[in-house]
Amino acid sequence: MGMGLFLLFVCAAGGTFCGYMILFSYKRNYLYLQDVCGMISALKQNLSYKKDSVPVVLSGLNVNSAQLKKNIQEYIDFTRGQSDKREVSRGFLPQATFDGVKDLFEAIGGSDEHSQNTRLEALSARFEKLRETAENKYKNMGAVAVKLGFLIGLGVGILAI
Amino acid sequence: MEALFRLIPDKYSAVIAARLSLQKLSEVRIINSAPIRVCYDGAYYFLCGTGITKDRSAAFTAECGSAEQIVMRACSHSLFTVTDTLKRGYISVAGGLRVGVCGAGVMQGGALFAVKNFYSVNIRLPHEVKGCANALAPKLMCGGSIKNALILSSPGVGKTTILRDLCRLISDSGYNVLLCDERYEIASVSGGVSALDVGCCTDVISGVDKPRVFEMGIANMSPHVIMTDELFASDLPYVVRASTCGIAVIATAHAKNIDELKAKPEYSDIVNHRVFDSYVVLSAPPARTVTVFEGVV
Repeated sequence: MGMGLFLLFVCAAGGTFCGYMILFSYKRNYLYLQDVCGMISALKQNLSYKKDSVPVVLSGLNVNSAQLKKNIQEYIDFTRGQSDKREVSRGFLPQATFDGVKDLFEAIGGSDEHSQNTRLEALSARFEKLRETAENKYKNMGAVAVKLGFLIGLGVGILAI
Repeated sequence: MEALFRLIPDKYSAVIAARLSLQKLSEVRIINSAPIRVCYDGAYYFLCGTGITKDRSAAFTAECGSAEQIVMRACSHSLFTVTDTLKRGYISVAGGLRVGVCGAGVMQGGALFAVKNFYSVNIRLPHEVKGCANALAPKLMCGGSIKNALILSSPGVGKTTILRDLCRLISDSGYNVLLCDERYEIASVSGGVSALDVGCCTDVISGVDKPRVFEMGIANMSPHVIMTDELFASDLPYVVRASTCGIAVIATAHAKNIDELKAKPEYSDIVNHRVFDSYVVLSAPPARTVTVFEGVV
């Protein structure tokens, strides 16, 4: 009986853990996109008054996402001539987010102020949509994944007993 | 000269750092798919693996997209920060470097809208030679006032260098100097700090065209003297206005000597109406003489 209860506990804990892992993956994608939206907003804001160069704006940003920090550093290294190729590492990013980020780093700094503003507006709308989708996924499906993980784990435990 | 080395490929910067004296290097000229040239101690040479040479076949050859690469590095991959100056043919780089840019113009409604397909660049390095205007400064500061003066020479002889030192000396003598540094070459201000010494009483306005600087400066900064580089005919009314407000103007212009200046129709008025009290003529190396002419007509 004791062994059975232990097995049940392990299965439920394992299922919950898997659920949390899924929740975490949704969350970091959401946080990444939130930071990207903040980054675009900072670029647009700077463009409307100070017009600093892109590396100056990016290096002064307060970014939480480790993946975006890495992407920004890759971009800054490229602009400083420390890297010959413009690298954008993918990490955990889903294809749609990765494509958007590649477009973003390709677009920034490559044109005059007006074109840059137009391009940033378009990218901002694109990333806002991605962020909204990621937020919904994180808030709704993340919670479901944790509950489902627990229930599946519990079910597997019961079946095992 | 970190700023230069950040712009050019490592291969060239390694040779320049190891084999050349940066004090003597004044220009690096890069044309797509052509040999790299440098202006060294007043003469042009090709850049090669062992330093400089007159032998074209030994020279480094620039790659096809070199000019564009340098332009992008010069603007930190932010073209929108330099669109206006690019249309005027240059980019100012922190550290006082000026990159002259050639390419194809994009016209819109009869005006230059953008520059594309960059063909060549000329990277000009600033030289701070403290004391080079020691003999000149007392001639322009006499009786408690400053004379209007125009410094003349051919390009690359050292007008900006002498103007910078003159600015430092006049400023350190206690005069309010307003420095119009349109191309960031004289004071090389970056992040609100001047990289080159222009004196303790100098107010610097960078990146703004001369008419605006004259207007803003006269109204707000009460300068004793306004100093500026590369005066053009279109700027002359502002010089006259400053003079009539009791403010001296010291500027530079492209002309080998006074006769050449007089020969330019756009400058003839300024000579004939005695807008400037003194003309300072710099001669090219190796002579490098500074001659002051007073009250010329």
